[in-house]
Amino acid sequence: MKIRIKKAGLMATIQDLGRHYYLSQGVPVSGVMDSLSAQIANLSLGNAPNDAVIEFTQSGASFVTEDDVLLCLSGAGACLKTEAGILPSNCPLFVPAGTNLYLENAPPGCRSYLAIAGGWAAPEVLGSKSTYVTGRFGGLDGRCLKDNDILNSSGNLTATTMVIWDSLKGGAINHPKWSVGRALFLPDARNTIRVMRGREFNWFDGPSTSSFFSQEYTLGHNSNRMGYQLKGKPIHRVFEGELLSTAVTPGTIQVTNNGDLVLLMADCQTTGGYPRIAQVAAVDLPLCAQLKPGDPINFKEISWKEAEKLYIERELDLRKLALAIKQRYNVE
Amino acid sequence: MTDLAGKNNLQVYPLSECALTIEFRKSIDDAIVTRVNAFDRLLNKKGMPGMYQTVPAYASLTVFFDPLILLNSSLPGKTGFDKARNYLLELNEEIGLSLELEGSSLITIPVCYGGEFGGDLEYVAAYTKLNNEAVIKLHSEAVYKVCMIGFIPGFAYLGGLSPALEIPRKGTPVKVAPGAVGIAGSQTGIYPLETPGGWQIIGRTPVCLFDAKRSQPSLLKTGDRVKFEPITFSEFEKYSGG
Repeated sequence: MKIRIKKAGLMATIQDLGRHYYLSQGVPVSGVMDSLSAQIANLSLGNAPNDAVIEFTQSGASFVTEDDVLLCLSGAGACLKTEAGILPSNCPLFVPAGTNLYLENAPPGCRSYLAIAGGWAAPEVLGSKSTYVTGRFGGLDGRCLKDNDILNSSGNLTATTMVIWDSLKGGAINHPKWSVGRALFLPDARNTIRVMRGREFNWFDGPSTSSFFSQEYTLGHNSNRMGYQLKGKPIHRVFEGELLSTAVTPGTIQVTNNGDLVLLMADCQTTGGYPRIAQVAAVDLPLCAQLKPGDPINFKEISWKEAEKLYIERELDLRKLALAIKQRYNVE
Repeated sequence: MTDLAGKNNLQVYPLSECALTIEFRKSIDDAIVTRVNAFDRLLNKKGMPGMYQTVPAYASLTVFFDPLILLNSSLPGKTGFDKARNYLLELNEEIGLSLELEGSSLITIPVCYGGEFGGDLEYVAAYTKLNNEAVIKLHSEAVYKVCMIGFIPGFAYLGGLSPALEIPRKGTPVKVAPGAVGIAGSQTGIYPLETPGGWQIIGRTPVCLFDAKRSQPSLLKTGDRVKFEPITFSEFEKYSGG
C-alpha cells in the first residue's frame, strides 16, 4: 500500500507517539502533537497506537493512492475529500488505486492525522519514527514531507486490520457504518485548558496569578511544534531568583524574563531555566495541538490528583476502544 | 558541613502526570552535582516500576514513568505520584557517603581557538582584561565537569570555568556552527548542531558531539570530565577530513 504526496501543505511530518528514551542526552520527545487523534486514527484500522502517522497542518495538502489502500483520518485540521465529496473521518476507508484525495478546510482545528493499515514505513531512529526537523533525524530523512514523496505502509498488518481490509476491499471507495466518537473523548473545540500549578507558581504576584486564570490569551504567530507564544497581560514576579535549569516537558508553561508566557509543545527542549507557572493536563494537550495562531485560549485550575485520575481514565478508554474494534471484527 | 545524605534538603514535586522532579538544592555546587549523579546511577541500577528515563540537571533529577504501571505496582501510596515519591525517598536513604562516581571518564576535546572559528575571542579578552593567549590558556587548562545535558541534543553544560573568564551572554542569540565552543556566566559548552545561540564563541571543535546514528548519540554524559586541547587551523582541517 502506498501513496504519493502531491502537495504537502503547510507542514507535514511522519510522527509516532514520541522518542522517550534519550531525554537525558537532550533529545526532545517529538511525536504527534495531538496524541488522541493519532491513536484514534491508528486504532480505527486495527493498528498499534504507536504506529507512525502523517501529521498534516491545516488544509491544503493532497495526495494520490498508488495502490489500493486502507486509510483513516482523524484530528481537526481538515477533512478528507475526493472530487465526489467529503469522506468520513475516524473510521477505516478503503480507497482504490489512482484516487486523488484532498485535505480541505471545514473543522475549526489545526492538525490532522492520516494513518495507513500497518502504519507508515520509516526507519526507527533512537527508538522512534518521529521526525525532529531541528535535529534533522527521524521520519523521512529528518525533514518535512514534500511534493512527490512516496510513502509506503510497513506491510505488517494485524489480524484485525486484515479482517477490516477483507470487509471493505473492492473497486470503489468503501467504509463501514461505524466511526469512533472522537467527541466522546474531547470536544472538538474547547478553549478552556485544564492546568495544574507549576513548581514556581508562587514566584508571581497575586494579581498576575489570578489574571492567569481569568484572562483570555491569544496564540501568537510565532507558535510551532516547539512551543506556543501566549499573548496577554504580562506576568509579574515577586521573587527575583534565578531558576537553576531543570527538566521541562511538553505542556509546561514558562514565564520569560519579560513576563510573557510560553507553552512548550512536542519538540520542546528537555531542560529549561524559566520559572514555570503551570503544567497543562496531559488529557488537554490534544486541544492545545488543535489551536492556530490567533485562536483564544484560557486556563482553569485542577489538582495534580485530578490530573492523574483523568490521565489514567483516558489511557483505559483508549484500551477499551482498541478492544471494542477487535471484538467488532471477531478477532481475539 | 553540608548534610549531603540527609533527606531534609530533598523536595519532590510533580512535573507532569508522567514525571516527577527530586530537587536537591537551589544552588550550583559541585557536591550537589555529584550527589544528583550518584542518585541517578543508583536509581537506574535498581529501577522503579514503570520508569523509562531520568534527566539529571544541576541540582535536580527528573524521573519519567508510566503512571498506569506505577499505579498497578505494590509500592505504598494511593496515587502514582505518591508511590513514586515514597519509593524515591526510601532509595535516598540507601545512598552511602561514598559518592565517588565509577565510570565517569576524562574526555579531551580538541579546539581551534580564535580566528573565524572563535569570533568573540577578542571581545572576551577585552571584557576580561586579558589577552587572547591568556583566555585560551585559562580555558584549556581547566578540567570541567558535565553538570547537565539539555537545550539541544548533546549540549553539555560544563561547570568549572575560571572565574576570570566569566562574561554575560549576548543580548540576542546569533547563528552558531556545529562544534562552536562558547562561554556564558560561569559555564562553558559546545554547540552540537547549527542553532541560534547566545554564548560568546571562542573556538570550534572538529569532534562530532551528537550523532543520532551512534548507539550512544551524545559524546558527553552527565558526570563526565572534560578538558580542551588547543589545536591549529591545519590540525582542525586534518581532523575534519579524516
